[in-house]
Amino acid sequence: MGFLVTTLIFIVVGIIAALCARICCNKGPSTNLLHLTLVMTATVCCWMMWAIVYIAQMNPLIVPILSETE
Amino acid sequence: MGESGGGGGCCPPMDLMRSEPMQLVQLIVPMESAHLTVSYLGDLGLVQFKDLNSEKSPFQRTYAAQIKRCGEMARKIRFFKDQMSKAGVLAKDLVEKENDIDLDDVEVRLGELEAELVEINANNDKLQRSYNELMEYKLVLQKAGDFFSSAHRSATAQQTEAESPRAGADLLESPLLQEEKIDSTKQVKLGFLTGLVPREKSMVFERILFRATRGNIFTRQSVIEEPVIDPNSGEKAEKNVFVVFFSGERAKSKILKICEAFGANRYPFSEDLGKQAQMITEVSGRLTELKTTIDAGLGQRNILLETIGSKFELWNLKVRKEKAIYHTLNMLSLDVTKKCLVAEGWSPVFASKEIQDALERAAVDSNSQVGSIFQVLRTKELPPTYFRTNKFTSAIQDIVDAYGVAKYQEANPGVFTIVTFPFLFAVMFGDWGHGICLLLATMYLIVREKKLASQKLGDIMEMAFGGRYVIMMMSLFSIYTGFIYNEFFSIALPLFAPSAYDCRDASCSEATTIGLIKVRDTYPFGLDPVWHGSRSELPFLNSLKMKMSILLGVSQMNLGIIMSFFNAIFFKSKVNIWFQFVPQMIFLNSLFGYLSALIIIKWCTGSQADLYHVMIYMFLSPTDELGENQLFPHQKTVQLVLLFLALVSVPCMLLPKPFILKKQHEARHQGESYAPLEETDESLHVETNGGGSHGHEEFEFSEIFVHQLIHTIEFVLGAVSNTASYLRLWALSLAHSELSSVFYEKVLLLAWGYNNVLILIVGILVFVFATVGVLLVMETLSAFLHALRLHWVEFQNKFYEGDGYKFAPFTFILTGNEDE
Repeated sequence: MGFLVTTLIFIVVGIIAALCARICCNKGPSTNLLHLTLVMTATVCCWMMWAIVYIAQMNPLIVPILSETE
Repeated sequence: MGESGGGGGCCPPMDLMRSEPMQLVQLIVPMESAHLTVSYLGDLGLVQFKDLNSEKSPFQRTYAAQIKRCGEMARKIRFFKDQMSKAGVLAKDLVEKENDIDLDDVEVRLGELEAELVEINANNDKLQRSYNELMEYKLVLQKAGDFFSSAHRSATAQQTEAESPRAGADLLESPLLQEEKIDSTKQVKLGFLTGLVPREKSMVFERILFRATRGNIFTRQSVIEEPVIDPNSGEKAEKNVFVVFFSGERAKSKILKICEAFGANRYPFSEDLGKQAQMITEVSGRLTELKTTIDAGLGQRNILLETIGSKFELWNLKVRKEKAIYHTLNMLSLDVTKKCLVAEGWSPVFASKEIQDALERAAVDSNSQVGSIFQVLRTKELPPTYFRTNKFTSAIQDIVDAYGVAKYQEANPGVFTIVTFPFLFAVMFGDWGHGICLLLATMYLIVREKKLASQKLGDIMEMAFGGRYVIMMMSLFSIYTGFIYNEFFSIALPLFAPSAYDCRDASCSEATTIGLIKVRDTYPFGLDPVWHGSRSELPFLNSLKMKMSILLGVSQMNLGIIMSFFNAIFFKSKVNIWFQFVPQMIFLNSLFGYLSALIIIKWCTGSQADLYHVMIYMFLSPTDELGENQLFPHQKTVQLVLLFLALVSVPCMLLPKPFILKKQHEARHQGESYAPLEETDESLHVETNGGGSHGHEEFEFSEIFVHQLIHTIEFVLGAVSNTASYLRLWALSLAHSELSSVFYEKVLLLAWGYNNVLILIVGILVFVFATVGVLLVMETLSAFLHALRLHWVEFQNKFYEGDGYKFAPFTFILTGNEDE
């Protein structure tokens, strides 16, 4: 559940970033495509990293064992 | 030897993805407008001229005399610069753009100024020399005068002592003419010489004088306290004043020669007290006169240098431009009629209109009756590669080009590198505290961009400044991964939600032995803060980061193979799609894509299967039962199918392509099979040189086969080794977090524990220096390097050929920065 919600948030942020890029630097179709590619790549990379760390913690096999001092 | 497919049908064009289309143009320029044409094309900066006179030596070329002229003028300008820097005069910065200064005028003016400057310098030197000599003379007069007066006093004192005998302390200085007192009848005529000798040679000087004259001389030396400027060398030297008494002409000549050998300057001196005083006043007077003259001379020279300084940059630029123009003109070939020059060069297709405009303007401005001709040539030569980059993308493009310039129109890895390079750096660097420091540092560079661009920075600063946008991206991604790894200078903060773990029971008795359990939902963003500092942190993090590296690595490699697919579509090569792209995808994904899927399934289901075991036994004994390593139903069947696909794809990569290429080559050269037999035999074994644009394409089957074999082996073995290579993402991020944690715990917390302000301050200082030096500088460079290697090798060897050459247009913008 939390996974899907956050994935949707990433998608929305990606779309917003793409729109911002289109609005503020609109320099012709080939340049726009480059900007879109960059934004998409960045979104996908960031999402992948978050998703990996999230999924790894969903069903943990190891639990934290606190150290002696505190 | 691919044919340029000329536009991919599938995808719309994207900036920076492929080189700009280039064309070979030929310009025919009448002689009178040649100079102006080249000058305007240089301003435009979009034409790379080919050297059409490459077989001629530099002296045989048309404009060799002009280049010599420019070289002479450049020499004069360097001389001026030398003189200006010695005198401390700065050249004024270039403010106005004066286009119409004529080269001949500049040449004449430079010649005049140089002659004047040389004359002033020579005069100054002469005056300075005289001044130094007079200074030395003055010192000699003073010191020698002291000798004589003190000797005179002691001689009179001795005489009065002899006349009135009384016991008194002997004077330390015995009178000079003691012998005269003893035997006044034997009065020998003594001559003397006075002068200056360098202090380090003074003892040797005395000794040699003594030996040369067999001891028949008497010397006195007196030290001069401050160093004196030697008139010959112009430098300060420590000297002594000496007086030598001798008798006889032979002794005198010997002493003169010895003085010359030692570089001891001699000055005349008279015994008469009155004359001495007169000489001293005279010399002092001349000294002051000379001083004023010298000052006036220096003042005049400075005025001259200032005038030069005001026009220096202008002339410098003009001479450099002219030299570049003449070098370029030398590359054009002379037409048979000797009335026009022919130029060949590469230029981007989009610049045709601008080039034609420049040609027209030059024709009009030079009042020629004939216009220039611009035509496009068809050729099979490989054009240079040109990417239009701005200040943001040029740094990344330079990084990609450092490995190899893209072949004409092949896909540019730079497009994805703009994002993936900072991202992989950040995976290895993840700490949002350090990321913020890096961001602040680079924002300083970016905010003062304009000012720093015009300054001359040191080598290291130059590199950091050039890569400021890359570093900014790196720091932004680092802040993101810092939040994901939950490290702020190695402190973990529960920023987004409380930790998901809690004690098993209210007493928390087992927290340090068995551990906590997960009671709430997974921590929503990043790593749970409870892990930091726990005993089982490393097993968990290592497993997480290793699997993350594999997943990221397999994704990037797939992206690389997909780029090769785009290349195949663009160059319309079906062979490459079916017998390179498809087998490669199948091989990589059936093995390592399957591993990635297993990782994700294991995480999602929480199974305890051992993935090492699964992968290894998939190869060793694929038909065995999986038992407790089963992650999903029918896993055994799936594994058998994937193994089969992987094994089948290897010969698919290796065998069909060479045979198909051979068939294609034969189909293309069907018509040429009617050439005489000898020629056909030769053409298969002859090497073609790169310049032959109409050469017969040769096809060596064994070479193609070996090439394909190497490619296949590289891919198959590389699949394993490259995937393992991505584990450096894990290794470096572990090193970074451990170093950061050591500095925090062992330096800062330790210093805090002492409750002493002084120790705390020292501790903070050590922490700051260690963080900046080791983590912000060394770790940045290290992660930069490893991210670079991952791109250059693991990503690019899936699709990049990189054997093109870069477009180097003739432009004047660079000549401003060269120190030629």
